[in-house]
Amino acid sequence: MADNEQRMSLLSIGLVRGLVGQFAGILLGFALVVLIRALAGYDEVWSTEPAWVVGAILGALGFLIAIGAMSDWFSWWRGGETPFVHGPRHPGRPTWARYFDVDYNHKVIGIQYGVTGLIMLCIGGSFAVIFRSELARSGLQFLQPATYNTFIGMHGWAALFGIFIGIGGMANYLVPLMIGADDMAFPRLNSFAFWINVPAIVLLLISLYYTWDAGWTVYPPLSLKGSPGFQLVFWSIFLLGFSSILGSLNLVATMLRMRSPGMSLFRMPIFCWAMMATSLIQLTATQLIAMSFLMLSLAREATLAMPFFVPVLNAAGVNIGGDPTLFQHTFWFYSHPAVYVWVLPGLGIISELLPVFARKPLFGYRWIAISSLAIALVGFLVWGHHMFTSAYSPNLRVWFMVSTLLVAVPTGVKFFSWLGTIWGGKLSFPTPMLFTLGAISVFLLGGLSGPVLATVATDLHLQDTYFVIGHFHATIFGGFVFPFFAAIYYWFPKITGRMYNEQLGKLHFWLMLPAFWLMSVGQMSVGVAGMRRRIVDYDPLLGGMTRFNLGFVEIVQILITISAFVIAFSILIMIYNLFHSAEVGRVAGANPWRSRSPEWQIPSPIPEQSYPRPLHVVGEPYDYGLATSPRFVAGDD
Amino acid sequence: MQRSSTDKRHFIIAGVLVVVVSLALYALLYVALPLPLQASTQAATIDWVFQAHMILLSVLFALVVVFMMYAVVVFRRKDGDSSEGEHFEGNTPLEIAWTVLPLIAVVIFGYIGVTSLRTVTAAQENEVVVDVEGFQWAWAFTYPDTGAASADLVLPVNQPARMEMTSRDVIHSFWVPEFRVKQDAVPGQTTVLRFTPTVEGEYTLVCAELCGLTHYNMIAKVKIVSQEEYAQWQQVQLAAMGKTAATAGSIDVAQGDAPAVDN
Repeated sequence: MADNEQRMSLLSIGLVRGLVGQFAGILLGFALVVLIRALAGYDEVWSTEPAWVVGAILGALGFLIAIGAMSDWFSWWRGGETPFVHGPRHPGRPTWARYFDVDYNHKVIGIQYGVTGLIMLCIGGSFAVIFRSELARSGLQFLQPATYNTFIGMHGWAALFGIFIGIGGMANYLVPLMIGADDMAFPRLNSFAFWINVPAIVLLLISLYYTWDAGWTVYPPLSLKGSPGFQLVFWSIFLLGFSSILGSLNLVATMLRMRSPGMSLFRMPIFCWAMMATSLIQLTATQLIAMSFLMLSLAREATLAMPFFVPVLNAAGVNIGGDPTLFQHTFWFYSHPAVYVWVLPGLGIISELLPVFARKPLFGYRWIAISSLAIALVGFLVWGHHMFTSAYSPNLRVWFMVSTLLVAVPTGVKFFSWLGTIWGGKLSFPTPMLFTLGAISVFLLGGLSGPVLATVATDLHLQDTYFVIGHFHATIFGGFVFPFFAAIYYWFPKITGRMYNEQLGKLHFWLMLPAFWLMSVGQMSVGVAGMRRRIVDYDPLLGGMTRFNLGFVEIVQILITISAFVIAFSILIMIYNLFHSAEVGRVAGANPWRSRSPEWQIPSPIPEQSYPRPLHVVGEPYDYGLATSPRFVAGDD
Repeated sequence: MQRSSTDKRHFIIAGVLVVVVSLALYALLYVALPLPLQASTQAATIDWVFQAHMILLSVLFALVVVFMMYAVVVFRRKDGDSSEGEHFEGNTPLEIAWTVLPLIAVVIFGYIGVTSLRTVTAAQENEVVVDVEGFQWAWAFTYPDTGAASADLVLPVNQPARMEMTSRDVIHSFWVPEFRVKQDAVPGQTTVLRFTPTVEGEYTLVCAELCGLTHYNMIAKVKIVSQEEYAQWQQVQLAAMGKTAATAGSIDVAQGDAPAVDN
């Protein structure tokens, strides 16, 4: 082993190879553009933007080829065969190297997704902590407006990468285990779908070199002006979309085709239903954002200047060009359903964990399963509520208001069913349960601050203010971040075989929950008082003066900033806890939570092949408190 | 011996707590969410709808959190107890109830939403029309009735005003928090915003849609004055421009004095 480690060259690490490949691809793209422009007779052969567009595409291809994400497919084209085997693809290398290379085991890919997601969340959060410090006082402190405007967009997209990839982590690790499958339906596609995120992240980070100042929503015409950084963002998101589509395709196929004997659809653990709804959205809506970002890319002056989104007046003054609001329609037609992509898996985690820690069946299993699909469906009909102050038929606003309010119905079913689940249980409160209950309270705040925004009259005041920021972050923290952390603590013993440190876990929770509450309510508060979103400086007199010689808004901003630091610090505690406990934690055993879910019936950490013998499911997933209901029988091959 | 979880007493205690917590929460929200001065007829309607939503929020929040915390306290596992909870898998009448009741709430609040929207956007007689142009990073106002132009928005009190908005470059958004209503100004289109100012005084118009480098500072002064002062101001404006109401055409004030930067 030691010999092998010494002999491992830097280039044998897949990630390094991929990055080199991406760099080569980018250079190739640059060269291609220069060559074409020279042949076409341009005076200036160098043009930054087209070079980056072609470089971004070839760079991503270069990454995927160099890391080997497409090697098996190439081999098939040549008539070769690549039988699927469990186990490391390069025996003899140290275990950690698997995680930095193409690997077809869904458990490895799940960890790759999960860790990358956590890293991106931390990067996204770091941007927030930086500009929150700027906002602690009115006036310009240390951030220039251009930097500030870039950072808010970077915060948005880095955090969204974190969410998408974090969800990929939970889905890839858990779904096959939960349905008793040995792997995903398409393991090679699974690895490809993960690795395409990495060149996307690289492009997003390079965009920081330029400034791009249109926020994460990149509305044109603003996003059609300004630096080439926009192109990097567009193509980064385009690649992320590929990952979403391919990953969700894989998940749907897996859940429909790979369930073990007896695992009917309504015997799947509830998280799988959440992932089903999520995947159906991603599979059908992501194309819209890919298209709208492609149109943005082509609409910019330095590429093809296609007038999709800007008016062009003819001699008679009639618009024969495009319309800026067209982008908003295509963007939100995806991006609103995307919000449900971000929260449905987390709500699934809540439904998954409550029965285990309440020792009771999930209340209304089928209602919860169907409510996820209902939310996904209604989610497609509400995009216009992001545009109440934009320019479209005023009467249409009524329709979007009512369809948006309707989301409350299936969401309400979930909340009440959760209450039914814990009512009369035997509740215990280890860290995952604390995060689950915290998630419910935070998501409740996010959900209940929704109707006032869905109602057009009140939204005319609240649109584009910090109230929206507060509402959105409560929704995302309650619907994703808190449940994601609950999931990390809950499945940590299954992944590592060791227990996390309970004291540190509880400390993390008790720092993060109150801080988040203060931050969220504070944001809503300044928003109602008149604070716009996306501003580097604000009027300290909004909401009046206080006796502390500070404006009301300033005091609240200071509190929000302190909260942000407390949240960041608490997450550092979690990261320390995870790394430390993986080494020295108490050995957990196969099923420390006494769960009925399939993954807890096999050893921790899970061996290379999860289910060497097929699992035969005979019972309901959440029959806690019923001694006579076995979940599995030993199976024969 | 622990009481059964369906014992009526649980629900009576939790019910009383829901009422108490709802009231406390609404009081808290009333203080924590300070709406700006109510300076238009639209603001009165919007504030009413806002408070109705805050009551709804308080009640529903209390309903869920009180029952959750009640369960956390009452149904917690005792040390060393490894028995399971009560076994019930669901209750269809209950599920139907908590599907239908929110549906009724949606209908009620949908109705409130429709009527309030109609009130807030209704056209009025005798509107003062102002052409508003947004550009990076300032506002320009012209009064088509007289031809006056200005970098400040001056309007007579208690008279309905209609903003006809457009933008020269990117999307901007017209917002005076004291008037509540907001509308984007979009290149290539004319969008309309109506409000009736009711309180004389000076306000700040801000751009609410991210529009580039100094978006944060894209502000203009708004003065709400009496009818007499308004008429006088129109005369002064026209005189300063060397025009009279009769000869005034469309005037470009883009290069005029930009609004003072005060923060």
